[in-house]
Amino acid sequence: MLELRLVQGSLLKKVMEAIKDLVNDANFDCSATGFSLQAMDSSHVALVALLLRSEGFEHYRCDRNMSMGMNLGNMSKMLKCAGNDDIITIKADDGSDTVTFMFESPTQDKIADFEMKLMDIDSEHLGIPEAEYHAIVRMPSAEFARICKDLSSIGDTVVISVTKEGVKFSTRGDIGTANVVCRQNTTVDKPEESTIIEMNEPVSLTFALRYMNSFTKATPLSNTVTISLSSELPVVVEYKIAEMGYIRFYLAPKIEEDEDETKA
Amino acid sequence: MFSLRSCCVTHSILSHRLTLRTSLILPPLFLSLFPPKPISLQPLYSPKPNPNPRTMSSRPSAFDALMSGARAAASKKKPPTSSSPKKRKNPEPKTPLQNPTHPQAPIDEEAPPSNSNSNSNSNSKPSEEPQVSNGSEKDHPDTDPEPSGDTLAVKKPRLINADESIALLKKKPANFDPKSAAFWNDGERVPFMFLVKVFDAIDKESGRIAITEIVCNMLRTVISTTPDDLLPVVYLLANKIAPAHEGVELGIGDASIIKALAEACGAKESQIKSKYQALGDLGLVAKASRSSQSLMRRPEPLTVAKVFGTFRLIAKESGKDSQEKKKNHIKGLLVAATDCEPQYLIRLLQSKLRIGLAEQTLLAALGQAAVYAEKDSSPPAHIDSPFEEAAKIVKQVYSVIPVYDKIVPALITGGVWNLSKTCSFTPGVPIGPMLSKPTKGVSEILDKFQDMEFTCEYKYDGERAQIHYLENGSVEIYSRNAERNTGKFPDVVVAVSRLKKPSITSFVLDCELVAYDREKRKILPFQTLTTRARKNVAMSDIKVEVCIFAFDILYLNGQQLMQEQLNVRREHLYKSFEEDPGYFQFATAIISNDLEEIQKFLEIAVDSSCEGLIIKTLSKDATYEPSKRSNNWLKLKKDYMESIGDSLDLVPIGAFHGRGKRTGVYGAFLLACYDGSNEEYQSICKIGTGFSEVVLEERSSSLRSKVIPKPKPYYRYGDSLKPDVWFEPTEVWEVKAADLTISPVHRAAIGIVDPNKGISLRFPRLVRVREDKPPEQASSSEMVAEMYSSQKNNQRNNQDDNEED
Repeated sequence: MLELRLVQGSLLKKVMEAIKDLVNDANFDCSATGFSLQAMDSSHVALVALLLRSEGFEHYRCDRNMSMGMNLGNMSKMLKCAGNDDIITIKADDGSDTVTFMFESPTQDKIADFEMKLMDIDSEHLGIPEAEYHAIVRMPSAEFARICKDLSSIGDTVVISVTKEGVKFSTRGDIGTANVVCRQNTTVDKPEESTIIEMNEPVSLTFALRYMNSFTKATPLSNTVTISLSSELPVVVEYKIAEMGYIRFYLAPKIEEDEDETKA
Repeated sequence: MFSLRSCCVTHSILSHRLTLRTSLILPPLFLSLFPPKPISLQPLYSPKPNPNPRTMSSRPSAFDALMSGARAAASKKKPPTSSSPKKRKNPEPKTPLQNPTHPQAPIDEEAPPSNSNSNSNSNSKPSEEPQVSNGSEKDHPDTDPEPSGDTLAVKKPRLINADESIALLKKKPANFDPKSAAFWNDGERVPFMFLVKVFDAIDKESGRIAITEIVCNMLRTVISTTPDDLLPVVYLLANKIAPAHEGVELGIGDASIIKALAEACGAKESQIKSKYQALGDLGLVAKASRSSQSLMRRPEPLTVAKVFGTFRLIAKESGKDSQEKKKNHIKGLLVAATDCEPQYLIRLLQSKLRIGLAEQTLLAALGQAAVYAEKDSSPPAHIDSPFEEAAKIVKQVYSVIPVYDKIVPALITGGVWNLSKTCSFTPGVPIGPMLSKPTKGVSEILDKFQDMEFTCEYKYDGERAQIHYLENGSVEIYSRNAERNTGKFPDVVVAVSRLKKPSITSFVLDCELVAYDREKRKILPFQTLTTRARKNVAMSDIKVEVCIFAFDILYLNGQQLMQEQLNVRREHLYKSFEEDPGYFQFATAIISNDLEEIQKFLEIAVDSSCEGLIIKTLSKDATYEPSKRSNNWLKLKKDYMESIGDSLDLVPIGAFHGRGKRTGVYGAFLLACYDGSNEEYQSICKIGTGFSEVVLEERSSSLRSKVIPKPKPYYRYGDSLKPDVWFEPTEVWEVKAADLTISPVHRAAIGIVDPNKGISLRFPRLVRVREDKPPEQASSSEMVAEMYSSQKNNQRNNQDDNEED
């Protein structure tokens, strides 16, 4: 028996919007600690990891660990039917092949039940170890989204380099080049508007902007975004979900195209 | 933490060494879209440089790097199992019968690293073990291709690599041990790599016998290890996803493939497109595209079942976003493809495998493989050459029921000798229509059918159709190519249901659907028929009426009639239906062996807007032979006198810009016939006559969208031929010519009549566009050669006659 009651139902809607374009089908894993998801996109370049801790739910009951395979597009269709103030409850029976989403309006005068079929998805769960990163950048999430959007109108890839001066996002396309530098800035009034750069070593990596832009769909979930970089490791783009957990996107870097000798 | 750079140095040194050892095999690997799965990231981190050859040719998967710390620790303890979450082989790593008894098994992963020769490899063994199947670069000097017999009884002591496996497949079938070539364990899904390597081997082979042997050995390997995978293997070899009559298509264009390819290897679409322009084959583009995108984790190696399953999923996607979903399926496959897999994956997706494997060869190989597979049950006593006989049986069964989903399981469970019984004609599944041979004159017919009873029928100029009426009252109409055409002819469905006699509960009718003017009681030309809508036609919208001209019946009230003689079948046909002029008529026929009479009949046929006559044996050698161009059916067309006997169906592959009056359109086209055994188009003539201005305009504009930057590799043409543009092979044109000559310029039927020269047409002119034929069904080079030689005979005869005069 599974029953999860989430008062701020809009949060779940935002989560779906953030990942549904990246991943088609995924397993949601429910355990006593929380509600989580891990999935790779079809080309195995990006990975999304979501955690909503049990403490964040108003009511959380999970008798035994469950893995529910869902088509995210379909799930998103159903969640779109929930109002932004609605309380969402996710229910499933053990061994059942369906999951129920219940939407209650804040005034309790309307209750809607949506039942969705589950599916079998064979996916492997990867253990993600904690790693030390060469550089960690924290910045306003809207700013990051803006940069990615702007750069993608010029080029396909973004080079993110962190130096003492700050973090630089640059791209190159047929029409020209673009560079955006963000300096460390902790003097603003509101802490969520600050840009904080922790750097052990300078690092510079190239990524496909297509994926970055897809990650920024999670912007509504959090005011800040944390970007952790290490050479030869996937970048982690993390959006904290207040009091509940996080959504993390891992993206494998592009390889510098300078090795023509291998073609010989 | 170790810097990556230092490792790379080690790698490149090693790669040199390795390149030397397997120089022929490695280069394609470097070019491959995705190098084999580098599970192990130890090289990046392990204290001593680990010369794992795999990681050299491949990009480290970034996520593995992330996890490598944990992994390295784990793999030190239990090397063979920790590296891959899903192991592909060897669930029981230890068997009592190992190294000691098998000195020839040095690759065994349990081998102690004492073997100094392969020491460097054995270091990396643990991580490499799950992907032996990919390991084209692995090369062990002392591997013995044939494990001794006693080992098979227990367990395979080692698994060979893919290239060794292919080398084994090239053995003579009689000496081939089907277990020896498998580089996976019994019951495991057949790796896609195996199939791809076979494709590659077939592609390099030109002899039909050699190809048959390779395919036969390959199928035996599959039967003996994983019989469940035989069906997908056969389907992929045939480059089909479902029987033709089911109308299941992948429905992907080049654009989707280009997109998927670009996304899968992190390139821009424009880059892929320009490579496509340069290489002219998306398969080669895929092979040449190196990924610039590292991966979170290498996907599992592809299996045949996975690829085929995904193909069927792709075919099923429909509606909104289906192109996007299809693209994602393709991407998923491409990302997992290694070595030369992407190349063939793309070609399969395009349904353009073009490795020179004709379906008939596949069927023959399937039959032979089945004979080997059931060694215990000896063939029926009266059969002398079981292999030829088995091939014949499979071909015959396939012509009656072209459904691998039925044939393959029946072969495995019931064996080949029972196949005709376990797998027979099923109403509702189209039979390959019997075809006729062209002739040039009434006298030739009398010659061929000496002392035989025969009949002449009108050859109507319409669309061949096979109408199935099932017990439950449902009707299906199939085209000449076994495509379901029911939606195009709702009026025919109504007509046959109305005009069958009440006692008839089921039938299969062979007939011609002809455009017909009911008021004037006149047959309309074929061109009128082509103006009918093709899909989901509503009765009320029909503007072009058709009449069914029935000439044969293959199945009646639950009884097969194909083995009956034509006179019997015809009697059944006449008894079972009511004629209704303009709706349903029997093909007009006479029985005569008088030359004058037949000549006259031909003239009447031509006057009634027919193409000519079909002459059929009546009571002897007159069974229905599915899919055969039989000698027992001869066609005599109206204009046999004025030109070569039959028209040819040819494919425009290039064109010359028009000048003067024809400025702005193409002035002349280069035509080709199709050589089925080599799967190539051979140029046969240039054509510029027979076009009205309208037709020329139409053809030019329709072909203009098919222009390709350079000729396909499978076009054969003389060096002196330099058309201004080349086309995709898409259209088929019916062409008439005065006669055939040997030509130094053209390449049709080269090697058949003359070793270095082809055949060309003199004074060719366009008759019409054959919209019912795909380019692969254009006139074959054998047919061209046959026409040429029979023309030569005739000329000689004529000359003889003249001399006598």
